[in-house]
Amino acid sequence: MADDELLATHLQELRRGTVVLACLLILERPNYGYALLDLLERHGFAVDANTLYPLLRRLEKQGLLTSDWNTDEARPRKFYRTTDRGTALAGALNGDWDQLDTALRTLKGES
Amino acid sequence: MTSLSDRYVDTTLRRLPPRQRTDIERELRAAIADAVDDRLAAGADAGEAEVAVLTELGDPARLAAGYADRPLHLIGPGLYLDYTRLLTILLATVVPAVAAAVGFVRGVQESPVLTVIGDTLGAAVTTAVHIAVWTTVLFAVIERTPALRRFPDRTWTPDALPDPPPSRRARWGELVAESVALVLVSTLVLLAPVVSPETDAAGEPVNVLNPWLWETGFVYVFIALAVAALAFSFARYYVRWSLPLAVAGALVNVASAVTLIWAAATDRILNPAFTTAAGWPPDAAKWINVGLIVVAIGTLVHTVTESFGQARRR
Repeated sequence: MADDELLATHLQELRRGTVVLACLLILERPNYGYALLDLLERHGFAVDANTLYPLLRRLEKQGLLTSDWNTDEARPRKFYRTTDRGTALAGALNGDWDQLDTALRTLKGES
Repeated sequence: MTSLSDRYVDTTLRRLPPRQRTDIERELRAAIADAVDDRLAAGADAGEAEVAVLTELGDPARLAAGYADRPLHLIGPGLYLDYTRLLTILLATVVPAVAAAVGFVRGVQESPVLTVIGDTLGAAVTTAVHIAVWTTVLFAVIERTPALRRFPDRTWTPDALPDPPPSRRARWGELVAESVALVLVSTLVLLAPVVSPETDAAGEPVNVLNPWLWETGFVYVFIALAVAALAFSFARYYVRWSLPLAVAGALVNVASAVTLIWAAATDRILNPAFTTAAGWPPDAAKWINVGLIVVAIGTLVHTVTESFGQARRR
């Protein structure tokens, strides 16, 4: 019981921030909130809807995403797309992730 | 969209700035509808699907705080240490200072002693509550106002470490001196009715101090306060510093000084029969009272400055 809780806490710490990178990568192709939630889940990034929706707006405010209302369908949806700035940041984050991965492999003596 | 979702969206929007509402409302409604449709497609009942979706979205207040980028804590880790430091210093200094000032004024006004003590304690409690409330409000506002948080970041350096406290030996010396003074003064006071340089017509000793002090038992209040003050000095020496201990100790010192001021101001210390018998000039009693009040004020000031110094060192 306590061990599961401990594991959950540390996993959450480890994964914090990966959702941002995943969003920036997925949204190279425009998409809307609910579909993104579904995609993230299918790719193994567990994130709550009430975390993701505000996060998208925060990233938009930071100029990493841009958005457009799509009113072609019966239900209007807000589509988000990664900006050039967002792509650049995703590249930097990705590079850091690779470095971490290499570092961990070195630590484990696998390199 | 049914009323449950409407109520959810309305509750969320109410906590958001008006200019954000329209856009968030459209997006949130679409997201809820998409999620409900998904569950309906999976074969869920319409009512159950809506309840499940809203349950997953969670407390609207939390969602709104996320949209508005509002913190979900009163005072965050960035400010917490400054908050507790300021609060400690204010409580340890302003509370005794206000109690001392109120007690002094009431004492000089010659109010009844219960009024003096009641007003002094009341002022101490009121001040403590005000300090706690307004300091907390101030820091909560700073936490919520990004512009106010752009103070130049004071990075911590070892120079900020507190000065070492005076050596234990020096403090022990002070304690011994305090204890000796207490024993001497209490002995003199308690012996005053039976040992006196003057005697009356019947050959009985004339008390230097006012017999009123014995008739009302007030002399024992004085001695009890002095013993309590000494006990707090010992507690400070042996027990780790804590805010309640510091404030309580300061308040006992304030109470002793204020009681002395009150007794001197109402001329209840010296025995008029003694000054007459000793043939002192008529103004002598008045000047002795003034002297006692000055000593008491010194104690008050010392109590406040000492509290400040000790709070600073934490």
